[in-house]
Amino acid sequence: MAIGILAMAAIGIVMTRPGLAPAQFFPLYQLHKSVGITILLAAILRILWRLTHRPPGLPADMPAVEKLAAHAGHFGLYALMLALPLTGWALVSASVLHIPTFLYGAIPWPDLPILSALHDKAPAEAALKAIHATGAFALIALVCLHAAAALRHHFIVRDDVLTRMLPWPQHPARRPKNSKIEEQRS
Amino acid sequence: MIIRHNRASKFSIAATVLLVLFGDTEAARAAQWIIDPARSKLGFSGTQVGTQFQGTLTPYTARINFDPADLANSSVHIEIDPASATTGDPQRDAALPATEWFDVADFPKAVFDATSIQTTGTNAFNADGKLTIRGVTLPFSLPFTLEIDGATAHATGHAQLIRTDFGVGQGPWTSGDFVALKVDVNIDLVATRGQATTSQ
Repeated sequence: MAIGILAMAAIGIVMTRPGLAPAQFFPLYQLHKSVGITILLAAILRILWRLTHRPPGLPADMPAVEKLAAHAGHFGLYALMLALPLTGWALVSASVLHIPTFLYGAIPWPDLPILSALHDKAPAEAALKAIHATGAFALIALVCLHAAAALRHHFIVRDDVLTRMLPWPQHPARRPKNSKIEEQRS
Repeated sequence: MIIRHNRASKFSIAATVLLVLFGDTEAARAAQWIIDPARSKLGFSGTQVGTQFQGTLTPYTARINFDPADLANSSVHIEIDPASATTGDPQRDAALPATEWFDVADFPKAVFDATSIQTTGTNAFNADGKLTIRGVTLPFSLPFTLEIDGATAHATGHAQLIRTDFGVGQGPWTSGDFVALKVDVNIDLVATRGQATTSQ
């Protein structure tokens, strides 16, 4: 998911650069659509998982304002990982080009109703394009903030918030930050 | 004398059209020819974002009367189903029937109708007529070569058209930025001399 989102940001920025030849950006748009729908499906699964599983709690000694910021940031990440593929899908559906979507060149994917049937798609397409781009930059900013916060927890606050997010098995439980600090002092 | 015959052959064409004729060197009257779908191909080629693609059209209905010795009574009438256009790419094939391109819902038939056929050389002819695509009818000329071996005739021909002359590619597609305006029409048809079923 993280790799997918980073790849989408990179592809999205590259493919919309002016001056690219159609042969260069056309395949990028198709790939962007394929990866975007993949992320949409993965995000739905992830959110279902999140709603049915309680995540590890935040460190007890975190200041309340930091906890609030963490919850808000996480909510924003979930919201945008759904909203970006959805607005992208809507944008494709409202495109005046009316290019059918085939995920990874093979799997047909429908346009959204209503938008694809608009008599004059141009205004809807322009609005959705602005929303999608704004959301994309917001997500990029939030991902940077998320990564910065994780690094801060690891290197500055020195708790286990980062390591417990890692997908691979952790070494014997990281020591609580207090004992770690004591160890370094010794 | 014109002999007419309607036959649903299996073939294809899309942004294009065709025709075909075949001659009977022995009969004194324009003969009717029946296309052999298994050995014939009605196709087109275009360029999308810099890459050329080939398309075929099938089925089509052809009514062909042709006699090199009686060109005045020779004619070709071909009706093509634009919805049958296939180009080997699912995305492109899904786009072609849409409003922006062939708009098959409103214009289910493309037609080439040639009633003026001239000799242009040995085994070479030119069929002048009208081509209708997406409801737009324009003069169209199809040069072709023809070889007749007994009761079998083989015609090959090539022509070009500008797709936007016929409204194929609406809105932003009226520019050639993504899809070239020029489309090649290719025919490679094999026909056998048929039985006269009707005459007038």
